[in-house]
Amino acid sequence: MLEKNYLWRIYWRLAGVIMVCVVLALAVVSYFSHRIFDQELVPETEQKAATVGASVRALVLKATSYGIEFSQLYGVEQTFAEVFEENPEFAYMAITNTDGNVLFARGTEPIGARAHFRNPVVLQIAHEPGEVSRAARVGQQYIVSVPINDNGKPLGVLHVGIDAAFVDHVLLEVLLDVLVVLVVSLFFTLELLNFMAGARLASGLGEFARQVDRMRSGDFTTTARIRANDEIGRLLRRIDSAIDHLNVRYEFLVGELQEKMRKATGAQREALKPAQQAFEALAKRFRFGSAPEGSDLDEMNLNRIRAPLFAFILAEELTRSYLPSYVNQLLVAIPGISPQVVIGLPIMLFMLIVALGQPYLGSWSERVGRRRAMLVGAIMATVGFTGTALAYNLYDLILWRSLCALGYAMVFVAAQGYVLDRTGHQNRAQGFALFIGAIMVATVCGPSIGGILADNIGYRASFGVSALMALVSIFAINRLPTVEVVVPGTQRAQRGPRMREIMALVVNKRFMTLTGLAAVPAKVILTGVCFYLVPLYIVSIGNTSAMAGRMLMVYAVMMVVIVPLSASLSDATMRRDRYVSVGLIISGLSGLLLLLSESFLVLFGVVFLLGLGQALSIAAQSALVAEHCQEEIRIFGSDAVYGVYRLLERLGNALGPLIASVFVIFWGYQGAFVAISGLVLFCGIAFTIATHGSEWQHPAPAQP
Amino acid sequence: MGTIRVRFIIVALVVSFFAVGMAAFLNYFKYKSTISGIVKSRVLVIGRNIENSVQASLSVGMQFMELGTMNALLAREKASDRLIRNIEVFDHTGQVIYSTDRQRVGEKVPPSWTEAAARSKSTEWSTEGPDEYVAGISLKNNFDLTVGYLALRYSAEEVERAAKLAGRDILLASIFSFIGIALIAPLALIVVIRRFERDLRALEAAATHLEDKSDAPLPTGSAFDAAIGNLRTSLREANAALDDLRGKLDAAG
Repeated sequence: MLEKNYLWRIYWRLAGVIMVCVVLALAVVSYFSHRIFDQELVPETEQKAATVGASVRALVLKATSYGIEFSQLYGVEQTFAEVFEENPEFAYMAITNTDGNVLFARGTEPIGARAHFRNPVVLQIAHEPGEVSRAARVGQQYIVSVPINDNGKPLGVLHVGIDAAFVDHVLLEVLLDVLVVLVVSLFFTLELLNFMAGARLASGLGEFARQVDRMRSGDFTTTARIRANDEIGRLLRRIDSAIDHLNVRYEFLVGELQEKMRKATGAQREALKPAQQAFEALAKRFRFGSAPEGSDLDEMNLNRIRAPLFAFILAEELTRSYLPSYVNQLLVAIPGISPQVVIGLPIMLFMLIVALGQPYLGSWSERVGRRRAMLVGAIMATVGFTGTALAYNLYDLILWRSLCALGYAMVFVAAQGYVLDRTGHQNRAQGFALFIGAIMVATVCGPSIGGILADNIGYRASFGVSALMALVSIFAINRLPTVEVVVPGTQRAQRGPRMREIMALVVNKRFMTLTGLAAVPAKVILTGVCFYLVPLYIVSIGNTSAMAGRMLMVYAVMMVVIVPLSASLSDATMRRDRYVSVGLIISGLSGLLLLLSESFLVLFGVVFLLGLGQALSIAAQSALVAEHCQEEIRIFGSDAVYGVYRLLERLGNALGPLIASVFVIFWGYQGAFVAISGLVLFCGIAFTIATHGSEWQHPAPAQP
Repeated sequence: MGTIRVRFIIVALVVSFFAVGMAAFLNYFKYKSTISGIVKSRVLVIGRNIENSVQASLSVGMQFMELGTMNALLAREKASDRLIRNIEVFDHTGQVIYSTDRQRVGEKVPPSWTEAAARSKSTEWSTEGPDEYVAGISLKNNFDLTVGYLALRYSAEEVERAAKLAGRDILLASIFSFIGIALIAPLALIVVIRRFERDLRALEAAATHLEDKSDAPLPTGSAFDAAIGNLRTSLREANAALDDLRGKLDAAG
């Protein structure tokens, strides 16, 4: 009953209800917005139609002034077509003579247009002075009629039809963002349920379950813990009270027995023997007294890392969808370096600092304390985000982004250490699920919301929002326990890999087959495509940062949905190499889709396939290291092998934007998508061939 | 009301506030950008007329710096839309060559104008001033070389007024829908967490009778029944062991 599923069932039900409420609220806001848009935009568009009409009329009058017959004008429809091209909200244009007969027309004629043109009120327009225009709803269009009047001589009327559905089209674009808000709201709901209620609830119920287990095993020792003032807290207080009473009884009886034994002589001692035996049996079966300090780590302490980590990672993820476009805006020509490479430079540098910093910052955070390390990192990142928001040009932007990267690496490593310190072998996976969960939720929510913000309030203000989020994370980190805790028996080797180990492993065939053909290419395509190419390509084809954010959200949602599934399936089948192969090949095929078409839907397919491929291979990749590098682990130790593996993997992160930008120089954006995918496809095929031999088919069982 | 229920309701309200706030934010900015776009394109229609005239003059061999009818043309086009404050034509150095405001001729335009024009990937460009917008067109000759720039300054008032009006209405709609949700969500949540609260109540009720000698409460079908049973058994056994010791101590005298 107290298993995690019980609470998660409640969470999902609550999230369902909250989502229904949110959908209702959004529907109401959207309905009223539509009305407001209709009321305000239509008159404004009518004015624009009148201006366009006046411009076309001027052309007509110019032609007639050269003596061309009004009904014999040439190229009028072509002019209408040009107007439609520049004004997509216009659906129809026509010129009628003074009798209301259509002389020239283009576009979709609304039902009832002919009757409208012959209406005496409309015919009268031709006789009115030049600047007057009239608008009326005809079928599915608003028709704006402009007189064509040559110095008092009426020639006819120009009609411009505005598609009534254009407001719907405008709102459809908002609807996509509203859908993003809905998805983000769902993740926020689960995160908030966990943060505001769930952490304490899970902690309380977990504590209750542990208390029941302790009592079942005969442990009635008291704990001096402060209970929360809620339902679970009150329940625990009652249990504490029952245990206290038992302890008082026990103390009293023990005292009495000892007193009697002390005073007893001969026969009296003999009479006390049954009581003595009962006491010994009692002492064997039950434990009373005070629980040893620190024997009972609060699960909540682990949960408390989630909120600050989420807030901090969200601050960085918010920038993903628009950072390259922002860099593009601040671009400064650097002699000898192509602008494409320069745009990727801040991302590259960020990844490089994180890659090189992480192995060494781990031991540093252990020395100074996890909380303190996180605080320093978050403060640095806050300054970095603020500086980025106010950046003057590319040079100081690189400096600020480097500060963000250092802060990111510090917080990431320290938070990882926080989880490591508070978990043993039995609950480490659970601890990391919590850690990765916070990151994944931030990855889903960040780019999409960041893109929306960037489109509406601008890049600089959006970086300001990131700075604010990083500031919020400082407050959340500040609330973490000040006392550093380490679960006894926890392995805490946090040193960075040594050069000797790196050199030995990079020439090791088995290790490099896994790292060089699978892990590094997977990271190259991730950062090259998602962080560099997608944001830039989408903007280059006239789309917005919000759309780039939506695309990145698709990738993140794929990861959230597929990774747990593929992880359990690959574990169950023990054919992890196949999952890695299939994943790499799917990732490699993703970009090749752009050979078929440049359409936006194809790009969606690219990101979808990339997400699917990465999700299939990512979990199996690191497990394969333990599975196939037993000999290397025996020689260098698990920490060294994994340290080098992670280092190279993260260097792949840094290489991604560089490789993508070089490809852009030679083949443009589409070519770069294709080339980087082709590279990964090649690695995927090479990996499949390399792991086909018998030595890869029967691996030693993986170490836990 | 239980504190857990209050926390769940707060979560619902925070999420609803975020969603409604974001929707209002999106709608407002979409409205503002759409209306700005409509007004800008309206102004640019006039700009295109001027551009066509300039190009027609250049194509018959006239010099860009010596277009005699230019000022009259600009004045006529300015009069065609009350929104337009001023129309200027300037060269690549930013020096005004023609203007509807004669005093501006020879002066320099703000650097942001030339920067915006240089940055633009098409012939159209735009920038914003404190209380006005500027929509522009890069003027090209027959050889597709930029000979100058046309700038139409128009009042931000119309866009601001419309955005303010729509913003107020969107805000009102959002406030009302949030209030509606604030009323509905707690009721809906109460229905959903009823079972959970019943489980907690059963647990609390059982806990109040942990120490009395009454019979164990009948199973309520709560998810905590098994735990309550274990708890009572453990306490009963511990008490029985202490009772046994008490009895033996008393028996020893």
